[in-house]
Amino acid sequence: MSSMQFGIFTVGDVTPDPTTGTTPTEAERIQAMLSYALKAEEVGLDVFATGEHHNPPFVPSSPTTMLGWVAARTERLILSTATTLITTNDPVKIAEDFAMLQHVAGGRVDLTLGRGNTGPVYPWFGKDIRDGIELAVENYALLRRLWREPVVDWSGKHRTPLQGFTSTPAPLDGVPPFVWHGSIRSPQIAEQAAYYGDGFFHNNIFWNKEHVEQMVRLYRQRFAHYGHGAPEQAIVGLGGQVYMAETQAQAIKEFRPYFDVAPVYGHGPSLEDFMEMTPLTVGTPEQVIERTLGFREYAGDYQRQLFLIDHAGLPQQAVLEQIEILGTEVVPVLRREFDRLRAPGVPDAPTHASLLAAARPEEAAARPAERDDVDTAAAIAPEEV
Amino acid sequence: MRITVLAAGLSEPSSTRLLADRLTAATTAALRERGASVETAVVEVRTLAHDVVDLLLTRVATPELEAARKAVADADALVAVSPTFSMSYSGLFKSFVDTLEEGTLAGMPVLLAATGGTPRHSMVLDTALRPLFSHLKALTAPTAVYAAAEDWGSPGLDARIERAGRELADLVMALPSRRRSDPFDSDDPGFVSFEEMLGR
Repeated sequence: MSSMQFGIFTVGDVTPDPTTGTTPTEAERIQAMLSYALKAEEVGLDVFATGEHHNPPFVPSSPTTMLGWVAARTERLILSTATTLITTNDPVKIAEDFAMLQHVAGGRVDLTLGRGNTGPVYPWFGKDIRDGIELAVENYALLRRLWREPVVDWSGKHRTPLQGFTSTPAPLDGVPPFVWHGSIRSPQIAEQAAYYGDGFFHNNIFWNKEHVEQMVRLYRQRFAHYGHGAPEQAIVGLGGQVYMAETQAQAIKEFRPYFDVAPVYGHGPSLEDFMEMTPLTVGTPEQVIERTLGFREYAGDYQRQLFLIDHAGLPQQAVLEQIEILGTEVVPVLRREFDRLRAPGVPDAPTHASLLAAARPEEAAARPAERDDVDTAAAIAPEEV
Repeated sequence: MRITVLAAGLSEPSSTRLLADRLTAATTAALRERGASVETAVVEVRTLAHDVVDLLLTRVATPELEAARKAVADADALVAVSPTFSMSYSGLFKSFVDTLEEGTLAGMPVLLAATGGTPRHSMVLDTALRPLFSHLKALTAPTAVYAAAEDWGSPGLDARIERAGRELADLVMALPSRRRSDPFDSDDPGFVSFEEMLGR
């Protein structure tokens, strides 16, 4: 694995294909998502991340169930979330579910915490969206203790107290999964990530670069303020969404019918305006490479790039082709170029192996080489594309 | 002093913009009499109509709309003028206001005004505009100005414009200089650190 991680993330929406009028069943959508994860591993991507939702038209309500299946059928893919709801989930259940997934997946697990912005979901879980930030703060503080302390006594405002509680299983090797904090607009979450020295994932797919720049800058400054290292050493992840074909004209022709009526950005700006205002890139693999490399100019050297690929009702076959292009034509070049441009001293993307090595160097050194050391992408794709 | 003018007329030129310009001129003159230097910026909602709808639907702001929102947020005072539609401000006027971040207008002196076909709708100032801006915690000037078609030939309108401009100028001068807090600036006095969030 190179110093940066590349992957895909899915929201898990069931959306009609506007060109055919057909809507996948939940079963079909879930199977398609699973096939994307396997494809991601096959073509040498590093990360598959699923959203979590508790309302139609979304299917992924149970991310660790899905990721457990993927874990059993993959060997090197990191399984992650985009995002895990730190507000409405019980932090005890998050601690247990993700520790179990770590064991099942041999450590290939991290997670991105988010608040969720669908008001009605909160009361279904006994919460109130107006407490969103407070819930994220209190629940995560508890989650950290559950993964780090064998016996926890705790009391807080939003959950029943714990007395002499032990979360089982303990994290694999005693190393909790790496945590990214996801936020699109709340400086408080950048502050939270910085305080703990955790990762900050900014899903920038609806934002201009000025906004991305100020969010990431705040996180980096505060990461340094809290003594975790220089601002350049903070751990940053970004989103992005792409659709590719051999020529830009062809890509636009194929994607426009999906874009124009897409659930989130449809009936709004033109495809061309949206491409200008956000990271959406519809064009050739070379254009995607150029655009993505440009992110570091305003976010700095960063550790994780996730692409949203299965959006707007695109059919399974088209999404699989997009993942193939990403893995064979785009990511190998991005790995090489990002590595070349990268300033010295910028940390690699965290993995279970790197966290274990940092926590207990002797133990990590005594282990056989991790599968992580095999650069599958380089093996699949020729160096020059 | 920065005065931003929000004009939501639909035609070009519009009587709404004409009223907005006269209110701005009256405010500017009154501020200069009080020794202030004045800059003005005009937001014509008509030119941003598609951008406003796109933002409401997709959360994505065009650079032009972003600049307009910033012009409102950074103002020391606002002159807000809407045409009267169906007993209220126009939908487009409200939609632009809906794109402003929460708290943008809190504590901001605002001069309210509206245009309409007949004077029978002049209550729109106090039944629609003033409650909206009260909700947004703006400080509305006591005199709001309504211009019906027949008012354009009457000296009474000039007098009301002048009085409203003086009131807005007095409000601006009486208040400390506005400084918006920047939530992304950790040196800002309003910045909440994580220790504070944890209650430590």
